[in-house]
Amino acid sequence: MNTDDLIRQLSGANAPVRPLRPPWARALLWLVLAVPYVALVILLHPHTPEVAESMTDLRLVIEILAALATGVTAAWAAFASTVPGADRRILWLPVLPGSVWAATLGAGCLDDWLQYGAEALALRPDWDCLPPAILVGTLPLISILVMLRRGAPLRPRLSVLLAALAVAGLGNAGMRLFHPGDATIMILIWHVGVAFALTALAGLAGKAVLSWRQAWARVQPRGYA
Amino acid sequence: MRESGGTGEQLARLMRRAQEGQSAAYAELLREVAPLLRSEIRRRLRFLPPQDVEDLVQDVLLSLHVVRSTYDPARPFLPWLMAIAHNRVVDGIRRQVRRNANEVAVDEPPETFATDATNRFDESYGDPEALRQAMQRLPQGQRTAIELVKLREMSLKEAAAVSGMSVPALKVAVHRGIGALRKVLNVEGKA
Repeated sequence: MNTDDLIRQLSGANAPVRPLRPPWARALLWLVLAVPYVALVILLHPHTPEVAESMTDLRLVIEILAALATGVTAAWAAFASTVPGADRRILWLPVLPGSVWAATLGAGCLDDWLQYGAEALALRPDWDCLPPAILVGTLPLISILVMLRRGAPLRPRLSVLLAALAVAGLGNAGMRLFHPGDATIMILIWHVGVAFALTALAGLAGKAVLSWRQAWARVQPRGYA
Repeated sequence: MRESGGTGEQLARLMRRAQEGQSAAYAELLREVAPLLRSEIRRRLRFLPPQDVEDLVQDVLLSLHVVRSTYDPARPFLPWLMAIAHNRVVDGIRRQVRRNANEVAVDEPPETFATDATNRFDESYGDPEALRQAMQRLPQGQRTAIELVKLREMSLKEAAAVSGMSVPALKVAVHRGIGALRKVLNVEGKA
């Protein structure tokens, strides 16, 4: 097919499209959906979240706020990564809150280790946490991926990785309210380690979720004669 | 590439109108950006043969089409366009590298058997001009189907997206088109 024919076909298939909102606005929209959902899952959980106790521990407050900030900035960056020509500096936004988040967790572990010794490093499976952790992440992850598919699949792995990080940040901020006193390796592995492992896996699966082939296949031009 | 004064502004205006659904503005926009893309791709990939350059231009136009809702009318147009172009060019280079890694260049295709009967392939398909003319004579639907599926090696799904034909219709069109080509080329070859 020559280029002129292609131009004729594409322009013949043109229909009105609504420009996507800016990445920050789309991130906000996602949060409006995801935050109440996470709150609902926490409220319906048989363990009562110990919000009051959580708020008295400064390190934990910083940790929860950093996780939240990581989630918010990662969502913003994820949406920006699907906009051609968007400022690339936005993609680095989650690094700062993510570092604070990791640092507070590390500090917590160190405290525990200094206080309880090797016992603090004991790893025991915490299966109770798994179903709510999965439940907390499901809807936010699906919704952010559906929203991302409306953008351009420029960097599929990075986009999906950032999306998973957004979900991990938001979910962890919520889940942390169940374990205000803990900052053990166990919590680190079950809450954060699993979240980061899933984030990395999601990143690797990026091309299965976002690709130009899928984008082309989703658009069925009309008006072909 | 930065927004270069008038051109960028004009293209941005056309894009805004295209997003509103004005097909004429969209056609004008695509006609304006095609040469820009062609020269940008040539500048970046000097070694690329003209046909591959054209394939990449078409690839970028297709990609622009499917993500045209990501253009923010308040922002400059050219950086948006060139980000898509850059992405598709990089993908194109990767495809080329993969293809080259699996191909061995030879001056003469090796003969599998020495007898004439096994080597008639080269003789009977040596006339690209005849093939081009035969393609021109095909009905529009069959020609498009063969161009997309056989020459550009798109999957049926992609070809359906580009042409607007359904997958079964494409299969039928390819089958009939190949049959018609075979008939025309055989008849002319024997004549």
